[in-house]
Amino acid sequence: MTTCTGCSLLCEDIELVLKTGAISEAKNLCRKGQGHFQALFTERTKPMIDGKEVTLDQAIAKAAEILKNARTPLLYGWSNSTLEAQTVGINLSKKIGATIDDTSSFCEGLLMERILNGKIPTCTLDDVRNFADTSVFWGSDPSNSHPRHLSRFSYYPRGEKRQKSYEEERTCMVVDVRKSATAHLCSNYYFRVPPEGDAEFLESILTVLDGKIPKTGDKKRLIELGTILKKTEFGVIFPGQGMIYSLQDKMDLFEELVARLNEITTFKVIPMVGHYNMRGFNQLMLGQTGFINSVSFQDGKATHGPEQSVAVAAKSSDAALVIGSDPLSSLPFGTARALAHIPLIAIDPRRSLTTDAAQVVIPSAISGLEAGGTALRMDGTRISFDPITKSERLSDEQILTRIMEAI
Amino acid sequence: MSVELKIACFEDIFQYEAGEKSRFSDEYRQLSAVILLDKQDMASLGVKDGDKVLVENEISKIVVAAKTSDDEPHAGLAFMINSVWSNQLLRDDLCNASVPGFKGITAKVGPSQGEVTGLSEIVQRMRA
Amino acid sequence: MVGAMEIYMLLPKTNCKKCGLPTCMAFAVGLLGREKKIDECTPLIEEKKYEAKLKKLHEVMAPLENASETGLIIHPEKCFGCGNCVVACPVNVAAEPTRCAVGLGPEGDKVILRVQDGVVLANNLKECRRFGPNKVLCNACTATCPSKAIEFV
Repeated sequence: MTTCTGCSLLCEDIELVLKTGAISEAKNLCRKGQGHFQALFTERTKPMIDGKEVTLDQAIAKAAEILKNARTPLLYGWSNSTLEAQTVGINLSKKIGATIDDTSSFCEGLLMERILNGKIPTCTLDDVRNFADTSVFWGSDPSNSHPRHLSRFSYYPRGEKRQKSYEEERTCMVVDVRKSATAHLCSNYYFRVPPEGDAEFLESILTVLDGKIPKTGDKKRLIELGTILKKTEFGVIFPGQGMIYSLQDKMDLFEELVARLNEITTFKVIPMVGHYNMRGFNQLMLGQTGFINSVSFQDGKATHGPEQSVAVAAKSSDAALVIGSDPLSSLPFGTARALAHIPLIAIDPRRSLTTDAAQVVIPSAISGLEAGGTALRMDGTRISFDPITKSERLSDEQILTRIMEAI
Repeated sequence: MSVELKIACFEDIFQYEAGEKSRFSDEYRQLSAVILLDKQDMASLGVKDGDKVLVENEISKIVVAAKTSDDEPHAGLAFMINSVWSNQLLRDDLCNASVPGFKGITAKVGPSQGEVTGLSEIVQRMRA
Repeated sequence: MVGAMEIYMLLPKTNCKKCGLPTCMAFAVGLLGREKKIDECTPLIEEKKYEAKLKKLHEVMAPLENASETGLIIHPEKCFGCGNCVVACPVNVAAEPTRCAVGLGPEGDKVILRVQDGVVLANNLKECRRFGPNKVLCNACTATCPSKAIEFV
């Protein structure tokens, strides 16, 4: 059995047969996972300095040199690396007084913070399968982002207290700006909100839960929604980027709603983290620094704030190490541009816009396939995995250790 | 002729798959450099399915292919898949003093005679 | 999916009974249920005046030709590989109570639906509850599909 590292569900029931240069047969792997495993064979990186192929040792030496000489280095990425690699990364940033940040600072971070700090109650995905009778996808579309979410945990499978499952004992609801594929599966319970309209929608629910009539929106449906929420025995909300981007500095409102729901019944929240080990990075950082992301170790102490997030740090850094991420593709133009103007070290199994722009490219093994390790699923469950194929490429952990030794 | 639209981004499994095969392929660009427009908005712009449109805001301007959205009517709002194309339009300033975050995209959309903005062009802009 | 009326409009509409059924409408229904073949309407095949209609009839019936006996058609190019159908199918659930019933991929080979190479694959269709003397209108797989990758004719 193999574990898929394509998303933060970390499915462990994958049966894979590889032949030279291709997947011969794959069982239980969704289309997203299949794509992720295909990446074993396409556009693999080679060690490079200034666009010319070099030896691995030379690339690592150059990377160490750049980081050693940088005054304000930035270490970014992390959510596609194992806990073991992340641990070395955090140690490296302490050693060189770097700023370290991962993709959560512009993604699920605002929510993850409150969950990991205990302000918003959470549970495991196994709890969801066994007990949840209401699953709410808020600004998330698992059918496209976490394809097996509904079939493994949140809607279709049977569970201890949900033997009759989706047919009689589970309700699935979607709150989104568009009628996504997931919304089509539960179109009776699809609530469309306008862009940036989530705060108002939240307030309407709070009003309805207090037994009052909301001022805006489809009053009848909102009252119906309130009734379902009140009758729920064990509800779970899965917020995605859509909700978090919309609420941003109004996350208190969501915290208030969850607290209010828990006065009436039981409601938990699990963040719909994208990359397979974002949560791992957040939890490691929390344990070591008290913050889940965006930390500077300059002057030997941990400083946290928006200035330390990649969006801002990219503009004040004089060198950056990017691991398992392609910020030139995935971050806003301004941040991407800032990164493209400083010496970059890219550790990545595959070619990307970032590796193309990097001064140093270090090819890495794909976790879960060529390298083993441990990661935290979106619900915090620890999942360990072994490699399924041999590779000459070093794992993230090995590369970072070598860089650290060379500094 | 252009209309101001809000743009919301979303994930698509087929575009992801194409990206895992190659982020530099025509297929990936064809699946990513697309904007889903409401029928009414398309009509008011005189734009047909497959026509090119210029999407422009204070951050950037890009040319992408217009596609008719099959969602319920949503005039004033368009959808783009989360990709390097949509990220060209995203602001990167802080939401407020204490919270990093990115506001939604607002952009002017109008018909274009140009070709879809290629990756190399986008990279050139980043390096400029 | 094409309907009986659409098929009827492409037939001679003479109720000549050469196919063995009393009316052309009955033949249309028979075609849809795959109990009859287009060739059994001999006037349609033999008479030149029906040439255009015959061609169109073959066109609209083409998707059904790929359907299994239970009428199941899979469009793998649309499939997300999400496994909703694998977990919803009552035959799958009964065959794999510790696997498909609880969200995992099947271990054995008595299941009808499984996800292979990223998309759904159907087997053992004669076990499907829509088939056979005690057939029921089960639609667990089609109702749970996010992309209409699986449908019944």
